[in-house]
Amino acid sequence: MAATATPEIAPVVVQEPQDKPKSGLEPGYLVVCWNDPVNYMHYVTHVFQMVFGWSRKKAEFHMLQVHEQGKSILARESMEKAEHYVHELQKYTLHATMERDE
Amino acid sequence: MKLLRRTGDKMVFQVDLRESVLLQQTLKLYPRVPPAHQPLSNSGKLPDPQENQRLLDDALADHRAANKKQVQAFVTDPRRFKPIEDGFRLSLTRPDAEWLLQVLNDVRVGSWLILGSPEERPKAPTAKTTPDFWAMEIAGYFQEQLLESLMGDGT
Repeated sequence: MAATATPEIAPVVVQEPQDKPKSGLEPGYLVVCWNDPVNYMHYVTHVFQMVFGWSRKKAEFHMLQVHEQGKSILARESMEKAEHYVHELQKYTLHATMERDE
Repeated sequence: MKLLRRTGDKMVFQVDLRESVLLQQTLKLYPRVPPAHQPLSNSGKLPDPQENQRLLDDALADHRAANKKQVQAFVTDPRRFKPIEDGFRLSLTRPDAEWLLQVLNDVRVGSWLILGSPEERPKAPTAKTTPDFWAMEIAGYFQEQLLESLMGDGT
């Protein structure tokens, strides 16, 4: 009796769902706050809380990032929303800009 | 300047005579940061960067003009500074205090820019830098008092 060959079953590779490619993501502008030697640290914390509605803890985290690393990315938004945030931060005389997320 | 009480949205401060003069003189310096001082982007890689920069500059100029009018109204409003025996009672709502913080920080940062944007806090002013040095220090003093009151409410 001839041995019957067991058909080989190739393992099915299950693909993990991937994030959409970056180019397909909306929005795509970063709101960045830069360090300066003049603004008080707790003033910066307070402004982040007011502008973004963040908790004290989150605002302090970003303030320390600005202080220690020279900048912090505060948000990634559509162009209009990023402009709005930059305007709000600049009203408080913080050094904030928006940059295209590349 | 001392917070006497906070009821809901309203804060009442005690301000002595000297502080009230200093606060009003400091506010009258507004605006100190030059117009079109802030870039919208550092990289410049935005669509239509010049037009977007112009829109931001216009929006900030409108904001500055409105603030300047409000400063004038603030320092001349007798209901703001109610005389008491040894100074004044200054009443502020929370939005007033936020606005005042912005104005004071403009005076502080603007004075710092006039002083040449020093990396370190100047130790002692020279004859030439005295007005700007003290404008920066006094604006900072009032900012500290306001921040302490605002941040002390658990938000």
